[in-house]
Amino acid sequence: MANVLLARMGEITLKGLNRGSFEIQLKSNLKYRLKRFGNLKIYQSQSRIWIEPKEEENPNFQSLAQAEDIMKAVCQVFGIVSVSLARKFEGDFESIKENAVEFVRELLERNPDYKTFKVESKRGNKTFPMTSPVICDELGGHLLDTFPELTVKVKNPDFIVNVEIRESNYVYVGKMMAHRGLPVGTCARGMLLLSGGIDSPVAGFMMASRGMPLDAVYFHSHPYTSDMAKQKVIDLAKIVSGYSGRMTLHVVNFTQIQLDLYKHSPQDMLTVTMRRVMLQIAERLAQKYDCKCLITGESLGQVASQTMEAIAATNEVVKMPILRPLIGLDKQATCDISRDIGAFETSILPYEDCCTVFVAKHPKTHPHPEDIIEAEKDLDIESLVEAGVLGTEDIVIDPF
Amino acid sequence: MIYFDNSATTFVSDKVRAKIRELMEDEVSANPGALHRLGNHAMDLYEGIRKETADILGAKPDEIFFTSCATESANTAIKGYMSRNKRAGKAVISTRTEHKATLESLEYLASNGYEIRYLKTGLDGKPVMESLEEELGKGDVALACFTLVNNETGAIMPYELVFKTIRTLSPTTVIYLDCVQALGKMPVNLASIGADMCSFSGHKIHSVKGNGILYVKKGVRIDPLIVGGGQQDGMRSGTQSAVLAGAFLEALKEVSEGIEEGLSNVSKINSYLRKELTARGAVILSPDDALPYVLNVSFKGFESETMLHCLEIYDIYVSTVSACSAKSKKVSYVLLEMGVDRKTAANAVRLSFSRYNTMDEAEEFIKRVDEIYDQFLVK
Repeated sequence: MANVLLARMGEITLKGLNRGSFEIQLKSNLKYRLKRFGNLKIYQSQSRIWIEPKEEENPNFQSLAQAEDIMKAVCQVFGIVSVSLARKFEGDFESIKENAVEFVRELLERNPDYKTFKVESKRGNKTFPMTSPVICDELGGHLLDTFPELTVKVKNPDFIVNVEIRESNYVYVGKMMAHRGLPVGTCARGMLLLSGGIDSPVAGFMMASRGMPLDAVYFHSHPYTSDMAKQKVIDLAKIVSGYSGRMTLHVVNFTQIQLDLYKHSPQDMLTVTMRRVMLQIAERLAQKYDCKCLITGESLGQVASQTMEAIAATNEVVKMPILRPLIGLDKQATCDISRDIGAFETSILPYEDCCTVFVAKHPKTHPHPEDIIEAEKDLDIESLVEAGVLGTEDIVIDPF
Repeated sequence: MIYFDNSATTFVSDKVRAKIRELMEDEVSANPGALHRLGNHAMDLYEGIRKETADILGAKPDEIFFTSCATESANTAIKGYMSRNKRAGKAVISTRTEHKATLESLEYLASNGYEIRYLKTGLDGKPVMESLEEELGKGDVALACFTLVNNETGAIMPYELVFKTIRTLSPTTVIYLDCVQALGKMPVNLASIGADMCSFSGHKIHSVKGNGILYVKKGVRIDPLIVGGGQQDGMRSGTQSAVLAGAFLEALKEVSEGIEEGLSNVSKINSYLRKELTARGAVILSPDDALPYVLNVSFKGFESETMLHCLEIYDIYVSTVSACSAKSKKVSYVLLEMGVDRKTAANAVRLSFSRYNTMDEAEEFIKRVDEIYDQFLVK
């Protein structure tokens, strides 16, 4: 008898001939993410992945409470839909009853409000003498006798007791929902333009959820912005790396570039010229570090630099695709995701990543191509971009 | 490194380090409350420290209580007095330029039904006397809370005049005085100052963090904030630490010597900086007659936080209350209360000195400010 984790795969199961490579990547990601939880055996059967401790006394599997951290870690791995702590044991129906009662008791201690339940059963091992409906009936009755405060509710119960009879028996109650998606590493790397705001970490999270490993670039303007602003971005990168895996954060020393831009381009075009330079620096870094696209947290119409004209103006300076996963989301939806992934509280810390002295009071919201030519006529863009790429500090961000 | 942030905290002096090491030896570190010989010895040591501290401050030993910090002292004094003396009155007078330890304690009282009357403050950082008389005239004032030297501007409160007015117009009002920024920088004698309760902090006078003092004049009764084993006459429970009390005393002894020389040295630095910075278009926000240890200055063209980060490039450390944020401009409430306009206050930086700062450092500072203007001024 031992507790194991049962993780369910999602979209991967729709894959055709290449399904195997996705599964291998998923198991490899799980292995990397879970290594801090002890010596584990991770294997797959059909659309499920089983995670078992090699040592019986592994504390991370002893109870629902103790398993919370490892279950959360599993849920951070893209490709997983949900995870349950399951009791694995051999024996007849009596042992199923005992284990179910034990599990339900622990669940009720953690969730005293639970009042209704149902039993679901799957019998893969057809030599087991009872059919699935009989198992549900008998076990349901036994649980009602043992916990008189509970009642059965077939539609939307508070919790479901699952019984699975395979080569061993499994009982589990409830599941923790994960973030679905595809395993990180199943597509090419992307370069995330990361700031200290709410949007860009969410954009990184969303692309990682499609299997994309990330590098990130941040434009730092000390002394106009503080080391705390930089630390905030490092912290956000760490939060994103909890989902995307290890990443390198490239911190571009942007101070002199920003000063040059400020001196030589018109105030109302400063944001556009600045973003054009930033994208070019990001693209050079992306090429250098084998990234195939840039990722931004832009959302159409959110601020002056995110009007369609401004996006077109910044888009034209790079050849690489720019992915903008938030482009059609409203701010509230982005904030919801930010909260869900645990980035929001960090994103709203009051350390600005762009000093107000560089923000135009009335930026041009609909820049025309001729405005841009005019704005950049006194600038040596190539040398600014070159300086940005050269003056970069690389920080390896590990999720743990 | 040039450290001009001594009002935030000071470096621990060598003598304090040595004293701490000495007081951490086994034979002197028993619990002063223990009944055995070692305990008695520890208690003697502790009481000796208390007596010597009281002597230097011009108080009696049983008027001195060691706390964890000046914030604890302020909380104990303000909340403790009002809790114990419910019939003394329902009003407290103070100013809006007090340290947060005082203001938040007063907010606590306000939320418990007390009336807090804030006096007007002038551009000189001092409470306006007409305002004091007016608020006292309304009666029912149990407590008055002031600061001897303002931590942001160095403004010195004219305590003799203010206390005399209070004693005349409202003789039963008890006075609490925050002496944190004054200690070691100007003569502080509790007997002659005449406040009823005072707070002091160790780490502002080159001791370590974690030690402060509360002075409560004999005859003034307050409820303790921290209760437990009844140590320190029941005023502040918790096992007494001879190490922390001893560290405070050692620092106090050191800063109490040479106050005049320190003041003279820092005055020169202050005058030099005032002159040079004004010549560069900066606005001096500290009053002319402020304690020279604090110099609040608003730099033209630089928001406070940007100037702070510019200076840190050159290993120069200052502080600012104003934070640079696109969404909300946090500006010093002390400066606003004095009547400084918001834009000037948003560029305010506090330079705060110790007696160990030098003119060379001040000159280097000015040189660096010039470089910062050359390199980083935007506009």
